[in-house]
Amino acid sequence: MAEIKQEYDGLVLGAGIAGMQAALDLAGQGFDVLLVERAPSIGGVMVGLNKVFPTLDCSSCICTPRMAEVAHHERITLLTYTELKHLERTARGFSVTLVKKPRYVVEEDCIGCAKCELACNVVVPHEFDYGLGAHAAVYIPHGNAIPQVAVLDPQYCMFDGACARACPTDCIDFTQQPEEINVQAGAVILATGLKLVPLDVKKEYGGGKYVNVMNPLAMERLQSPNGPYGHVMRPSDGKIPRSIAYVQCAGSRDKSIGVPYCSRICCMYALKQGIMIRQHLPETEVTIYHMDIRAFGKGYEQFYRRAVGEGIRVVKAKVARITEEPNKDLKLRVELIDEGGRVAEIRHDLVVLSQGVIPGWKPDGAAPVRIDEDGFFLIPEMAARPANSSHEGVFVAGVATGPKDIPDAIVEAGAAAMEAAMYLGRSQARAGGVQ
Amino acid sequence: MSEIKRNWREDLKIFRERMGGVTQERKDWQKEQRDYSKAISGVLEKGARTVPEIAEASGLPSDKILWHLMAMKKYGKIAEAGRSGDYFRYELKGGQS
Ligand SMILES: Cc1cc2nc3c(=O)[nH]c(=O)nc-3n(C[C@H](O)[C@H](O)[C@H](O)COP(=O)(O)OP(=O)(O)OC[C@H]3O[C@@H](n4cnc5c(N)ncnc54)[C@H](O)[C@@H]3O)c2cc1C
Repeated sequence: MAEIKQEYDGLVLGAGIAGMQAALDLAGQGFDVLLVERAPSIGGVMVGLNKVFPTLDCSSCICTPRMAEVAHHERITLLTYTELKHLERTARGFSVTLVKKPRYVVEEDCIGCAKCELACNVVVPHEFDYGLGAHAAVYIPHGNAIPQVAVLDPQYCMFDGACARACPTDCIDFTQQPEEINVQAGAVILATGLKLVPLDVKKEYGGGKYVNVMNPLAMERLQSPNGPYGHVMRPSDGKIPRSIAYVQCAGSRDKSIGVPYCSRICCMYALKQGIMIRQHLPETEVTIYHMDIRAFGKGYEQFYRRAVGEGIRVVKAKVARITEEPNKDLKLRVELIDEGGRVAEIRHDLVVLSQGVIPGWKPDGAAPVRIDEDGFFLIPEMAARPANSSHEGVFVAGVATGPKDIPDAIVEAGAAAMEAAMYLGRSQARAGGVQ
Repeated sequence: MSEIKRNWREDLKIFRERMGGVTQERKDWQKEQRDYSKAISGVLEKGARTVPEIAEASGLPSDKILWHLMAMKKYGKIAEAGRSGDYFRYELKGGQS
């Protein structure tokens, strides 16, 4: 573990693209930053995406250099596998209590050789691949992980010592326990990102019950060159799908499940995934069932037209129900709006539910910030100060404030870092007696 | 590099106790893994097969066959061996058949 000082100028919570950018921008102005991430690797959602709309650039090729920059920056201290327990204002800023979870691996001794992983005799579902792939009970989080340090999952360990025997640096440490870390920070940036609504939130779609009804992030992993299968195949039997459906707004714009807002990015990632599928599998049909396509950003309308031009079928329809056939194909009962509301039953090999975006973390009293009606962090002065939370000295960035794409998350991160820098400048001037 | 010399064998005993030992759940999980690996290897010894073919020959569900097969592929025991229609075929690494 990196050496932790008692005081930092800034604490950034969450090391997705927004948190990393905020940390870099704050550190770039000469401030010492503690960047805290609850997962074993930094990178957030972006490092697991295949390509990014609308440019179709490789997502991890953009994300990993930034991850490396964060890890090597002399003014950034990185704490992974660490949760925030409590944050409160003091006379000097914020008193922060963190809990570092045990990896059962000594971070500074692990050389990322994966010999422990190869020696381990148990495989378990891989969280990074949304359960589609596997990893050993002790494992390097993924190929692009930073830090490249193993983590042991005690839930599946068989206690045979194979990992410790194989480790060339003697870094497996079975004595580790959760460790409380207390620091002071002058300002805080919350960049705790997103989650998707549970796959089974709309029972009529069979998510979580039918194996070929899938999460869009899992589809990103399937399309990635380092994904769980190495190809797009359906999970029930490895068939290369010849007909894929996207069901839009499957957990957004829906008061009945408490997500009345539009998740903003789903139309674009469905179009993107459709284009990528047809580039690799030109004979596969992709149909997007939607209420309306929302192409909100620069170049997005052109991207939508390109997708249609490349043969993606974009159908205005309401999907009422999905049922499973004996061969695990899926039958969608749809009301085709552009055909006067005609009801049809249409068969697909695979269905992706464009699930709504919800906050990645709720403070539940751990941090003194207010939450908006939609569950994301409240921004009292949205028009004037979009990076300021309800609490002085606490700033917010990325999807933690509401659904958005990567460019917007990066812009907000820069704004949050600038607000934090100005706040720190004012606090330091006050402490030094300067007016 | 830290200077501490770990006595991992002793530490492991304590860890094992602290984590509740080798519970039935852990045993069942490992047994399932062994059973699937054995079944998959058994079928593939006769030559390259698709997931539905392995499932049919072994009598095991195809979604679980796929999951275990991909785990075996990841850790170097299985390789892809071309395609048969809409399915990839898999063989034991080294091409034993
Ligand atoms: C299927 C899909 C495809 C997408 N494709 C694109 C695309 O092509 N182009 C595009 O522009 N956008 C795309 N997006 C949107 C993009 O993923 C987000 O805009 C971006 O990831 C937001 O970054 P973030 O840092 O705000 O959040 P995240 O990436 O969610 O990062 C938040 C980080 O904070 C950590 N964290 C959370 N809570 C805590 C805590 N309490 N303590 C410590 N750490 C914590 C998390 O572990 C995570 O690492 C896509 C989204 C989805 C769902």
